Amino acid sequence: MVPGLIGPAVVFILALLVTALLILLVNSAFHFTGTQVQPILTFEAYRRFFGDPFYANVVWQEIRLAVITTAICLVIGYPTAYAITKIRNPGWVIVAYILIFSPLLTSGIVRAYGWLIILSRGGLVNWALQSLHLATAPVRLIFNVTGVTIALVHVLLPFTVFPILSVLLRMDPALREAAADLGANRVRTFLRITWPLSFPGLYAGAQLTFVLAMNAYVTPQLLGGGRVQVLPLLIYENISDLNWPLAAVEAIALIGLVWMIILASNLLFRQSVAIAEGRS
Amino acid sequence: MPDGIVGAAMGARESEEPSLGHAVELRHISKRYGRVEAVRDVSLDIRENEFFSLLGPSGCGKTTILRMISGFERPTAGEIFLKQRRANDIPPYRRDTNLIFQHLALFPHLDVYDNIAFGLRLKRLDRGPIRQKVHRILDLVDLGGFGTRRVHQLSGGQKQRVAIARALVNEPAVLLLDEPLGALDLRLRVQMQVELKEIQHRVGTTFIYVTHDQTEALTMSDRIAVMHDGTVEQVGTGREVYELPRTRFVATFLGESNLFEGQVEERAQDHTTVSASGQAFVAPPNTAAAPGTTVYVCVRPERVRVVAAAESQSDLDACENRYPARVRDITFKGAFIEYRLLTPFDQPMMVQVHSDGRRLMERGESIIVAWRRHDCVVLTA
Repeated sequence: MVPGLIGPAVVFILALLVTALLILLVNSAFHFTGTQVQPILTFEAYRRFFGDPFYANVVWQEIRLAVITTAICLVIGYPTAYAITKIRNPGWVIVAYILIFSPLLTSGIVRAYGWLIILSRGGLVNWALQSLHLATAPVRLIFNVTGVTIALVHVLLPFTVFPILSVLLRMDPALREAAADLGANRVRTFLRITWPLSFPGLYAGAQLTFVLAMNAYVTPQLLGGGRVQVLPLLIYENISDLNWPLAAVEAIALIGLVWMIILASNLLFRQSVAIAEGRS
Repeated sequence: MPDGIVGAAMGARESEEPSLGHAVELRHISKRYGRVEAVRDVSLDIRENEFFSLLGPSGCGKTTILRMISGFERPTAGEIFLKQRRANDIPPYRRDTNLIFQHLALFPHLDVYDNIAFGLRLKRLDRGPIRQKVHRILDLVDLGGFGTRRVHQLSGGQKQRVAIARALVNEPAVLLLDEPLGALDLRLRVQMQVELKEIQHRVGTTFIYVTHDQTEALTMSDRIAVMHDGTVEQVGTGREVYELPRTRFVATFLGESNLFEGQVEERAQDHTTVSASGQAFVAPPNTAAAPGTTVYVCVRPERVRVVAAAESQSDLDACENRYPARVRDITFKGAFIEYRLLTPFDQPMMVQVHSDGRRLMERGESIIVAWRRHDCVVLTA
């Protein structure tokens, strides 16, 4: 039976993910004494998380980081994907794929240290900026949001490019020819056919990138140098401090936040498709 | 206006002037993809308001020609004229042609109205005239009231008509059709063939139709160019290419034919004698066939008469060609009966007889096959 083939995956997901989520939920309502967790029902962790403006600020900074990262990825990723579809030589297509997907082939830590070297005070970027007289003093590019954003864009770009690329490649080339045949030059063909029809890929890429940016740990940890706080880092810190209830609340907040934003963007997607199709 | 003035007004051009009254002229067009020559030295004149078909098997270059006329491919050599204007360097979006794609290529994100209005909006027409034109064309293709439908809500035949409307609404000088009926089932295809022909009559636009289906080409076309291997083998009306094929390819691609290879024995004023497989064939005169040259005698199955050996043969008096044969196979095909015959030639022969209620021949029966001189054609290639 073919439906049976899905069994192992279902069991795996149910056993691990759902159980883990339940444990999380239970833990979030326990009491933390300062040194250990006691199974006493309380909502003090929730009160602390939603009451302390520190956490609201972290969440706000994180959303801003993820949105900016996603926006930059789209601005770089869409033209990249579009350009790849225009490469005729199959050899160059492979080279382009390797370049785009190379961040995924290196370990996150190696990648982060690479960026630390390149972006540091005496690094390649600062050297170039000063040699070209674009900066008089070294620009601070690491241990702040700028560095984290640069490194996140680097590692997440493939996740933006890929869905856009696959939508563009699946698009029937005859549609663009039909537009040209009906009198549309390249720009108009792009605006009226290619662009609206690539929306699903654009949204998929944006959502994937956003989710991954929200959940990033290694990059903010290493390139933020402690100065960039995001929920995954706080979760890890609280777990190290044995404050499981607070870590659980933060995790639930992160999951909830990501889900809400994804659902909202799906609604937005439907509307923008309608607008792109001229049915506003 | 004399040709010369037109020519001077259009700029420098080669000695041959394109003649008026032709919607499309192809002059010695070739198209090469790497080492493959998809189209070789094709010259065609397609007249105004004509339904012209490019007929040939897949890979014969017919679609490449269509794409060169629409501007999606540039000829490697030769010239294209659209309404007496050299079009080689005009991009597709500035050509006065519209193409109906093989898989239609309707825009899935637009409704029927917006699909059809696409070209008109690009021409920056006002809303009113656009609305008027779209509704008029929707009525023409029998889709009145379908404007707000989405493409995926339409049946195959309706999509077909939207594609036709989307192209025709721009009132192109030439409408190009790339096997647009291929995906439809037989019934709908036959119906659309008739509709297309009717639409062409009504709008009076030049249609250039690419197909591999001989029936389709014969049904709709004013003239047909039969293509093979990148070249045009023959151009003519359906009747001309069917009844007077010039090459073996044309004879076998359009309909069934019996082909006999032989040598010219005698070339007389009113007939040619060809000897093939030890038999003499009397055929119509053919000036290209000098005595001794190898030729092919082509006889259409429906032009051959059969009479039982035992019966009276007075019917066959007009037939210069008469041979004894034996029935090998009988196939009843409804409107006609197909016989496969063993003949005194080296090869069996196929004959089709109307189902007119007469007695069917029996397997193994001895019969006489006969045809008149003008029922066969001598092919030199």
